[in-house]
Amino acid sequence: MNGKGLHVSHVTKRFGAGETEVVAVRDVSLDVQRGDVVLIMGPSGSGKSTLLLMLGALLKATEGTIALDGLELSALSENKLPDIRLRNFGFIFQDFNLLSALNVQDNVAFAAELTGMGHHAAREKAAKLLTELGLGHRLTFSAEKLSGGEKQRVAIGRALINEPSLILADEPTANLDSKAGHETMLLLRRIAKEQGRSVVIVSHDQRIKDIADRVLWLEDGQFKDMVTMTPDPVCGMAVEREDAVTLTHDGVTYYFCSSGCSWQFAESPERFTNRSVPA
Amino acid sequence: MRALSLKQPWGLALQNLLQDKLRFALSVVGVALAVMLILFLLGLRAGILRSAIIYFDNAPGSVAVMPAGVKNTSAGISQFLPRETADRVAAEPGVGRVTPILLMMAIPEFHGRKEVIKLIGYDVALGGGPWDVSQGREPQADDEVVLDRVLAARHDFKVGDTFNVAGRQLKVVGLSSGTTSFTGSYVFAQKGLVDSLVLTPGAASMLLVTPMSGTSSAELVATLRSIPDTNVLLKTDLMANEQQLVAGVFDQIVILMVVAAFVVGALVVGMVIYTATNERRGEYGIIKALGARSSVLYRIVGLQAVVSAGLGAGVGVGFAYAMGWLVMTARPQFLVVIGPSAIAITLAAGFVMALLGALFPARAVAGLAPADVFRR
Repeated sequence: MNGKGLHVSHVTKRFGAGETEVVAVRDVSLDVQRGDVVLIMGPSGSGKSTLLLMLGALLKATEGTIALDGLELSALSENKLPDIRLRNFGFIFQDFNLLSALNVQDNVAFAAELTGMGHHAAREKAAKLLTELGLGHRLTFSAEKLSGGEKQRVAIGRALINEPSLILADEPTANLDSKAGHETMLLLRRIAKEQGRSVVIVSHDQRIKDIADRVLWLEDGQFKDMVTMTPDPVCGMAVEREDAVTLTHDGVTYYFCSSGCSWQFAESPERFTNRSVPA
Repeated sequence: MRALSLKQPWGLALQNLLQDKLRFALSVVGVALAVMLILFLLGLRAGILRSAIIYFDNAPGSVAVMPAGVKNTSAGISQFLPRETADRVAAEPGVGRVTPILLMMAIPEFHGRKEVIKLIGYDVALGGGPWDVSQGREPQADDEVVLDRVLAARHDFKVGDTFNVAGRQLKVVGLSSGTTSFTGSYVFAQKGLVDSLVLTPGAASMLLVTPMSGTSSAELVATLRSIPDTNVLLKTDLMANEQQLVAGVFDQIVILMVVAAFVVGALVVGMVIYTATNERRGEYGIIKALGARSSVLYRIVGLQAVVSAGLGAGVGVGFAYAMGWLVMTARPQFLVVIGPSAIAITLAAGFVMALLGALFPARAVAGLAPADVFRR
């Protein structure tokens, strides 16, 4: 393991104790090199968000270590974490989470000013960054008046302004149409490759799989092999073939997360076969 | 409108306030009304205290000789100093001038309405009468009076009119300015008239003594204390006693109302900032998630409270002046004195309102977990 990038080693997160104990993440290990785009997928409740919170130094792991560029986050005291988050992480949220009272430029500059950068320098840097992101004509706009895609680009600008080594994105395409979602993912990939930043994305969105360098499937708090997984043509959820409900149509086997999906498919297969790509 | 661009987090705090302009305006007005009430009450209290000593402030002398046991005049004086005391005082070394004053409180009925008057009996040659006769002249006969012009205006008295007090018909020969008091208006007459009304010929309620050049007031007090059956005190002490008596009557209610206004103001700021903070819990969580320390959030919340309360306090001072002017115009017997110290106290109160108002919202943001931003 070299010092650069994100290194997660045997991380476990437990909530509660005794009979009420819940293990949200179980012995997860992961290496993300600089320039890597890693997509973590999984059903609801699989532990994706908990893992993301731990990667982002927002939640302490119960066991294991998380290190970013050689700095072991899990060993740092709570009062050091805000500064680490500010300078080493860029966060992108599903709901964009821009500050509604500020305009586009100030939303991005705000994060820079938190590091102690001067007001004018921060605004200049934000303007330059936003112009590179294609939002030079929107600097003085209220963040609330932008389209979803534009909002997400502002959020990306905010995530980038402090030049973090790791960008964590939580369902970044969930509130975007497919075009804007695709553009956002391409932008994140370009940032990773051109600027050498690690990008970890948590998402349900099957459409963005091809943009990631690696796709990991998290279920029951553990990574599972994606090779044996295939999407349910009805609901889009990745399912393990071995445990899935199956149905054959026109000589092709389809895999479903539940009987409900298979019944829905059986009623009108043509609705689903046109848009899905079975294995 | 071009957005304000201020250093963060001040810019965010101001923009948060300005984003909901109606709420911001309501909070400013709410604080302004509370501050106005505080300042107006303090001004009214100062006016009452000022008017309680207005006569002594303009009367001659720096030493007061009162009957034994008497230390103020506000409730009227039922004890008198005999003529011999005045003669004895005049004979003491260091005494420049002795001005005997005979004070009588009366409640005559003018046009069906009872009015409290303070009838001052004085010797025109020795002083102690009206200091600003704005119309007419001082009394020259025992049935003539100078009437406070505010009282005169209230009852449409003019120079030449007459009215009755204790069965005596008195003629208004002059109107005086600056002689209105919250506890009663001053009416000035020759001492002989008041002598005959209180049936104490030659007596005085008090003697106002002017020291001879080269004698200090304190020295004179020490000298005059040898005179039996008197209470000798500096005129400034007498004035302080007058104010203490009045303050004893009004302070409790004034303080109660000031505290109530303060609490209302703090609640207004608190509720507005709490609501605004609560609505933005998510955004505060984002700021924390980005890496801001809690102190940044405290500054945002605190600044919003300070701006609301500060602006409200400023507007409130203006409101208080307007209210004071309105009251003094409509009811000239009420004197409202808004001085720099009252303004300073009120602005400090506004600042404390802001701090108290920010307390609960600050606690709310301090308790935010940044991880909650990711939990929907």
